[in-house]
Amino acid sequence: MHTKAKSSAIKHGSPFSRAVIWILLIVVAIIQIFPLVWLLDFSLASSTEMFTNGLLIIPEKFRFDNYVKAFVDGNFLWYLKNSFLINVLAVVIVVLVSFMAAFAITRMHWKMSGLVKMILLMGMMIPIHATLLPNYKIYSTINMTDTMWSLLIPYVAFSMPQALFLMTGFLESIPKSLEEAAVIDGCGIFRVVFGIDMPMMKPSIATVSIMTFLNNWNEFMMASTYLSSDKWKTLPFSVLEFTGEYSSNYAAQFAVMALTAAPAVIVYIILNKQITKGVALGAVKG
Amino acid sequence: MKKKIVSMIATMALVATTFAGCGSGSASNADTAAADSSEDAATETASDGEEITLKLFSNLPDRKNGQGLVEQTIVDAYMAEHPNVTIEVETLDEEAYKTKFKAYSMDEMPDIVSIWGQPSFLDEVLDAGLLAELNTADYADYDFVEGSLDGFMKDGKLYGLPRNTDVAAFYYNQKIFEDNGWTVPETYDDLLALAKDMQAKGVTPLAMDGGDGWPLAVYLTDVLYKLTGSDYANIVTNALETGDFSDPAFTKAAQLLQDSAAAGLFQTGFDTQDYGTAQNLFTNGQAAMYYMGSWDASMALNQDIPEEVRTNIRMFTMPQIEGGATSATDITAWNGGGYAVAAGSENLDQAKDFLNYMYLPENLSKIGWENGVGMSAQDESDFMTGNETELQMQFVDAVGAATGLSGTTMNDRGTSAFKTAIETSIQNMSNGSMTVEDFLSNIASSIE
Amino acid sequence: MKKMYSNKAVIAVLVGPGLLLFAFAVLAPIILSIYYGFTNSTGMGSYDFVGMKNYKELIHDEAFFISIRNSALLALGFICIQHPIAMVTAYILDRLGGRAEHFFRCVFFIPNVISVAVIAYLWKFIYNPDFGLLNNIIKFFGGEGKVNWLGQDIAIWSVLIVLIWHGFGWGMLIYYTGIKNIDPTLYEAASIDGAGSVQTFFGITLPLMKPVIQVNVTMALISALKQMETVYLLTNGGPGNATQFTANYLYQQAFRAFKYGYGNAIGVVFIILCVVLTVITNKVFEDRDLKEEKKLNKISMRKEAI
Repeated sequence: MHTKAKSSAIKHGSPFSRAVIWILLIVVAIIQIFPLVWLLDFSLASSTEMFTNGLLIIPEKFRFDNYVKAFVDGNFLWYLKNSFLINVLAVVIVVLVSFMAAFAITRMHWKMSGLVKMILLMGMMIPIHATLLPNYKIYSTINMTDTMWSLLIPYVAFSMPQALFLMTGFLESIPKSLEEAAVIDGCGIFRVVFGIDMPMMKPSIATVSIMTFLNNWNEFMMASTYLSSDKWKTLPFSVLEFTGEYSSNYAAQFAVMALTAAPAVIVYIILNKQITKGVALGAVKG
Repeated sequence: MKKKIVSMIATMALVATTFAGCGSGSASNADTAAADSSEDAATETASDGEEITLKLFSNLPDRKNGQGLVEQTIVDAYMAEHPNVTIEVETLDEEAYKTKFKAYSMDEMPDIVSIWGQPSFLDEVLDAGLLAELNTADYADYDFVEGSLDGFMKDGKLYGLPRNTDVAAFYYNQKIFEDNGWTVPETYDDLLALAKDMQAKGVTPLAMDGGDGWPLAVYLTDVLYKLTGSDYANIVTNALETGDFSDPAFTKAAQLLQDSAAAGLFQTGFDTQDYGTAQNLFTNGQAAMYYMGSWDASMALNQDIPEEVRTNIRMFTMPQIEGGATSATDITAWNGGGYAVAAGSENLDQAKDFLNYMYLPENLSKIGWENGVGMSAQDESDFMTGNETELQMQFVDAVGAATGLSGTTMNDRGTSAFKTAIETSIQNMSNGSMTVEDFLSNIASSIE
Repeated sequence: MKKMYSNKAVIAVLVGPGLLLFAFAVLAPIILSIYYGFTNSTGMGSYDFVGMKNYKELIHDEAFFISIRNSALLALGFICIQHPIAMVTAYILDRLGGRAEHFFRCVFFIPNVISVAVIAYLWKFIYNPDFGLLNNIIKFFGGEGKVNWLGQDIAIWSVLIVLIWHGFGWGMLIYYTGIKNIDPTLYEAASIDGAGSVQTFFGITLPLMKPVIQVNVTMALISALKQMETVYLLTNGGPGNATQFTANYLYQQAFRAFKYGYGNAIGVVFIILCVVLTVITNKVFEDRDLKEEKKLNKISMRKEAI
């Protein structure tokens, strides 16, 4: 109903204002998208063709071998697997840990709950990069550098505060009556936590998952500091490495950039609605 | 030792509990990872079939061209000869390499590492006892060029071996020069006049990697050396000890660099463009010249570079400067990069064995030569095949005819704090946003 | 029931993992940073305690103050450039409806899902004075196209543009959600009253968006202060320190100049700055919120009266 009422201003506005609005939208869209089109365009050309004056070019010959190089020499699938594994694990752990903590804080009765909540939320204020130097020291002392854990632990720790914030908010809005009924039926506390409350948290779990994934998927500073062998290198880090290896081959660099960007863009376009909803919910509340 | 204990105490308790908290998976996974990399390495006696993994950390990311290809070739050959040894290579380009090296130096170094035989890099590393002492006698037959080991020694003990003899050079595109009737400049004024002419014809004169800072510092050294000649080392050493950079040669050299940049000798935006960008400007025929060390002589054989450019690369060294104290055959050259073995290596003997293998004259030196990589720090006269690129021969001739060599560049003669300071402010000075006086007082203040 | 909900062991199991993670990944490094901040450690070998020396040095460190200034500039750029455009775009988008709305919303957000590593390298090419996209665009429209986009004086603005471009979708989406949450009956009332789009925007949307604007401004301030990745890859703080940011600077000092102790001291100050800034913005907005609420109540009462 109301969509119609709202859109009326645009649909029935003067032709002039309608034109202005469309031009504005299209200009913004071009600004946002054109650099990526440019990237794709030159990733199919040869390196020398970079040095032309045109905005976009039609390559003399489409060089898909740039992509072959990026895919094979860039070890694309391996790094994609690492990125995927680490991020999925991070999401699972963040959801579990923050949900458990949120339950204890909002539902259980104990004196320190306020204090603990405050401490955990403080993580939101700490700049993650300030921990790079000391964490490197800690991880190398306990031989944790160059393992999956050196990424997983900080990823989880720095995603947790926001997740906790969202989850406590959501949990507070869920009525206790269902829980109470379950307890009367003789359910134990862990049944209540995971069997009754957790399924009801689906929307906020989705939000937390999306936020965590988006925040960590593109991270490379810690990856490049803590990792050394290929074993756990993630996709963004591999871009840094590849550009060094192929410093004299711009086209291959463009191909690897396009390839690295692709998974996230494709997933975003497919899950556009859910992600938009998740981000919006998380951002406004967080 | 002390630092270790402290961080141990600070983390031990947390660690134990955290691992418990994250589930047992964490601990067991870390264990297997460790076991993978050094299976059975604990048993010191090296029986033949024992599996050994060595880690090589290198500053040569491009494994398909030039020096990186040479290194990889030797690694592969060594592994073929020693089936029980696996060498894992990690590479990063120079700036990132040095950063990560410092991170590594806090705890566990890879077995074999790239190093630089210069105070700015090596002093702290040696003070911390991170590198293993090498046996000088091992290298009696290795034909190292006289004096090339000096930068890698401390108190008469040897801690590393030099890879190259580096020469600072102006690479130029012979075809562009000939097409326009340009000739190699003999004086600095000629160079600036040439740059003017190039600009007038719409050609970028000189591609400079100013984003990294150190090539600018090499350029400054080059100019300074041309001005001061054999006094160069003394003047710089003295300034570094006293923190007094008032010698007029410093002012003149810095001023010359600033004026050259202002006159448009370098490409637009040279102060932020990185190594790859500068090199690509030149190798794609956009710039007529390119300033870099002799290690880039392998450009002549790099298949990624268009043939028309590749076969036309030639070089000249810094032209004579008016009022300078050198002759045309005095060149800025030094022994910088090299390799060393980590003192804490679990497979010290094997690592040293690999190092020695790498430096067998028929390996690093010969293979390098065949791949058109500048010059090694070893005598290469035996490896002449007649198939050398002209560019290579130019370097050989320049070094052969040299009447004087500068030695370590200015930025690498001080502490690493000095290096960071000069490589940062030289960007400001050369793009004109900082005066020469401020530049000199700025670098002086980094000396304690 | 009550007993079950105050079982100490259960509480410990539920909160334990979170607290341990916090202790290990956040608290421990901070403590270690404070410790090393008082030393002259190079990161290896032995070191001495030097008391407040690092902090005294920091007070006179020009590069550190340039980083703070750059953060302020960045925050200003976000708030004065990115947010107004994002808000107007969100407003228009909301009134568009249908497929076009979905399409544009999707397109605007795409840069946001791409890794900073790719973005920074891409913009390095876009800014290249010799063959970059921007100068080619200028040439396309007949200009000379020789601008040195990352040069001394404008580098910080060029960095700003990248960050604004990259984060635009995010900012827009938050405003968009805020606008979607506005009660549609208010718009209907306005349109019955004959208010045009512009009047509706300033009369209804903007005032009701205050809480969302506050969230966005807070996030802009903090992300400006925390900036590191883009700068690290795009300029590494250069030329000189023209585009230096605190996080990048502490990384450089510790890992390039062998001043691990000093780097940690910067880290400590950095943390304090972030915490103080967060607390202050929250306080400021909280106080305002209370006042705003009163005002809003008055407005709605007046409306009812009318």
